[in-house]
Parts: sequence; C-alpha cells; structure tokens
Amino acid sequence: MTTVAIVIFVLAAIVATIRLLLGPGLADRIIALDVTLISFMGAVATHAAHTGSTTYLTLLVVLAIIGFTATVSAARFLQHEDPVPTITIDSEPTS
Amino acid sequence: MNTIAGIIMILGALVALLAAAGLHKFASPYARFHAAGKASPVAFLITALGASLSLGLAGTGLLVVASVAMILTLPVGVHLMFRAVHRTTPPTLAVDDLVRAERAARIAAGQDRGDT
Repeated sequence: MTTVAIVIFVLAAIVATIRLLLGPGLADRIIALDVTLISFMGAVATHAAHTGSTTYLTLLVVLAIIGFTATVSAARFLQHEDPVPTITIDSEPTS
Repeated sequence: MNTIAGIIMILGALVALLAAAGLHKFASPYARFHAAGKASPVAFLITALGASLSLGLAGTGLLVVASVAMILTLPVGVHLMFRAVHRTTPPTLAVDDLVRAERAARIAAGQDRGDT
C-alpha cells in the first residue's frame, strides 16, 4: 500500500521535473520545483508511516520553511529586473 | 487501520500527481500556478492525515506542525510568484484597434469631424 503511494509520489515528482526542465520562464521553474518538493515531502511522510518511526518527520517542518524561503527570495529576484517600458496607447486615428 | 491509512495516502499521492499534471495542462502561467498552488498543499494534507492514522500520537504532532507550516507559507509564496509575474510581464494589448475603428466609422458617417 505505502509502496504504491511512494511510486505515485515519485511519478508526480518526475512529471513536475519535466516542467522544471522545459518551463518557459523562471517562475514556472520555481513553481515546478515547489511541486517536486511537496511530492518529496509526501513521500517522506509515507515512508515514515511505512517504517513506523518518527525520525524523519522533523525534516518535513524544515522543508516547508526552506521551500517558502526559496520561493519568496526567487519572487523578489524576479521583481528586481529592469522595469517594463510603458507603451503609450495611441487611440487617435492616424491621419 | 493500516489499510485505511494506505488508501488515504494513495489518494494524497494521486492529488500530487494531479498537481504535477496541471503544470503541463494549462497554457498561461497564472493557470499553471493556480493548479500547482491549490492542489499541492491539499495533497500533503491528505498524505499527512493517512500517515498520522498509521503513526500514533508523536508522529501526529510533528505532522500537524509540518502541515500548519505549509498551510501558512505556501499560499504566500505562490501569491508572491503571481505578483512577480504580473509585474514583469509586458501588456499584451498594445494598441486598441476597436477605438480606432469606431472613430473612423463615426467620421465616415459624418457624426464626428475628426479634429478633436
């Protein structure tokens, strides 16, 4: 039962990693990495249920906070690019 | 009890697979972020529920702490990513052709002299 769940989690992580490799922009890659990380966290929780030991569950708390820090810093990095040039809308008919 | 926990964990894994498939399904970045940001914390919550059914009280405590940390932080991170994409994407509608066409039609119909 838990083996099937771990296999599905690994499949989800692989599918998200494909988006991480293909992704058209930096933001897509970061969100794909987030989904990969959450699949990994679910696999860790399932493995803890499989073995019955709570040793690795502390890792989940750390991973949640590390993932948040990574996403926030990457979002800040994205916003510090050059500002988009404003395009003036020409609504007058050209004479 | 272990069978029920296993079934719940498989359900959580399927939701995670759904989140990963949503990254490939949608065309715009906003739709992709929406799919990933909604489905992945739900996947982890369902998996944590199944694991805590199987682990007992000590494991449940740690899983609740991890789930609360994820619920508090992940929507904020996805929202910041939405905002960064929105602020760095150039506008797609550069010239409004409809305003020009309506103005030209009014000039052709004699309702507008075209000098204002």
